Amino acid sequence: MLGSTEVATGSLEIIKDASILCKNTFREFLVDFIPSIVASRPPSQVVENILRKYLEEFTKLKTEKGFEEAVDETQNIVDSLIKELNLVRDLIAEIGSRRIENGDTILTHSYSTTVLRTLEKAVKKGLTFRVYVTESRPIGEGRVTASSLSKLGIETTLIVDSAVRYVMKHVNKVLVGADAIAVNGAIVNKVGTSTIALVAKEARSRLFVLAGIYKLSFETVFGELIEQVFLEDINLIIPKEKIRELPNKVRVSAPLFDVTPPEYIDAIITERGVLAPQAIPVLVASLYGWPPKIKSLKELLDEVSKN
Amino acid sequence: MSPEYKLPKEVVEIYEGIKNMSIRGAGKIAKYAVLALMKAAEDFKSDETRDFLRYMEYVGSYLRSSRPTAVSLPNAITYVLTRLRKQSITSVEEGKQIVISSAQEFMRRADEALKIIGELGSRRIENGDIIMTHCHSTAATSVIATAYKKGKINVVYVKETRPAFQGLITAKALAEEGLEVVVIPDSSVRYFMKKVDKVVVGADTVAANGAVVNKIGTSLVALAAKEARVRFYVATETFKFSPYTLLGELVPIEVRDPREVVDDEWMKENKNVKIFNPVFDVTPPEYIDAIITERGVIPPQAALLLLIEDYGTELREVGVNIPTAWEE
Repeated sequence: MLGSTEVATGSLEIIKDASILCKNTFREFLVDFIPSIVASRPPSQVVENILRKYLEEFTKLKTEKGFEEAVDETQNIVDSLIKELNLVRDLIAEIGSRRIENGDTILTHSYSTTVLRTLEKAVKKGLTFRVYVTESRPIGEGRVTASSLSKLGIETTLIVDSAVRYVMKHVNKVLVGADAIAVNGAIVNKVGTSTIALVAKEARSRLFVLAGIYKLSFETVFGELIEQVFLEDINLIIPKEKIRELPNKVRVSAPLFDVTPPEYIDAIITERGVLAPQAIPVLVASLYGWPPKIKSLKELLDEVSKN
Repeated sequence: MSPEYKLPKEVVEIYEGIKNMSIRGAGKIAKYAVLALMKAAEDFKSDETRDFLRYMEYVGSYLRSSRPTAVSLPNAITYVLTRLRKQSITSVEEGKQIVISSAQEFMRRADEALKIIGELGSRRIENGDIIMTHCHSTAATSVIATAYKKGKINVVYVKETRPAFQGLITAKALAEEGLEVVVIPDSSVRYFMKKVDKVVVGADTVAANGAVVNKIGTSLVALAAKEARVRFYVATETFKFSPYTLLGELVPIEVRDPREVVDDEWMKENKNVKIFNPVFDVTPPEYIDAIITERGVIPPQAALLLLIEDYGTELREVGVNIPTAWEE
């Protein structure tokens, strides 16, 4: 399981390649590819938002200079979007790293490039701290995080998800990324995040979410719920030798995301500063108006299809 | 330890079995320990009453030393030896009879306990409840299976229980009873808690203040249950109550091999990553709605009651003699 920002940049790269390699069928490609990549990971808001941004610029160019020109310009649009994403992540990492102090014991969950960058920045500033990483079942991408952190020279300890309350007493800060931010300040992230948030609250450890504004789910402003994804294939969850011993009727159910309520979050660290989760609507209103004037992907794709 | 007495072969075998963990599980350890006391008593050859008493104390501490961390072991031994100490025996034969009959009583009670716990616990479960459980516990399984047999429940969420996946033992047992079993990853405990009505788990040790030491993750389930106002029950035999905690002793928490969490290869590639693998955690009494024992359903804070009932007020029984406030 990659971080959601990686999925977003990956999708942009594919669009860029397509604009170069299959100019003739690019229109059909966009209409086909964009909904499918968004559907593959429903809660990952950055994917939808960044593709929306791309389509906005694409359709604007199309109206001004024609379809061909817009296709030719796609490389530039993509490059500047990726640059912007990186810039945003760097800004968040810079702001986030200011919250880290010498001697901190930090806990993180799952895999987030924004969290990794933040910790990397803190190391480069010469700060010393240690990090607990949960293995983050199902999938277990916490192992990748642990591996990356230890290579940065950070004292890293891997624990099972169940041990999080055991160690929380020694943890003073929790840093996690997000797949989506709902308009009420709740965040959607890898399953287990809300459990950790609850444990952090109990132990009076701080919980910071590191996420750019591009993770905001605009649809939640209009009452939409964020969709859940389940793994139900037992082979993806339970080790093979253990499955054999189980009766057939045993089912498994593994949601990939959960929702952390705003009251468990001390702050959401964005490229626009450190925010109380409840302040998200204020920021949205100042950036996009209220209610936010946002075109849906479908509207934009319809514009792409028009001659 | 250089033996003062020559012990019968069976006793030594049981000692070794508990030590090398071929005899494992709190219940099994307890039963084998009292069996060893019985065998030792039967084997005693002299007519000297005082010597018999000394001999039995010796066997008791010998057996206790086989596994210092499992509380069911000293508790089972104390169960038998207290009964011997309480009677002022006049002959060795009388002493032997007390050891044998209390050992047998202990074993019978341990078997009955699971049934009683199942029955008492199932009464706390209401029609249509969705149950969640963690790890594997015979007592908790007994509660859930009994409730199912009464037609009260149908669905149980079983946590996989990393690192060793003991949840799958429970999943198997309950599916075979006929329940609809859904295995869920530990990380999703809070996600599922909203869909759950009651949590039933077992215990490894119950401390004097009612805190429950159990498989890592139990306290997390308890916290998530508290948050969701889901009832949290601990099902356990009373021989897992620790009198030592009354003396201020902490329950030792074993930290196991990192290879339970990741494989050798991963460890070799990531030499700088430490792996912390504690086996148990402590659930505070305020997160526990009730402890279901074979001697009744009690609030966790009443653990002390059962301990006093078993060990009296003379803490000498548990190996240390210190004055306490309630000692007469």
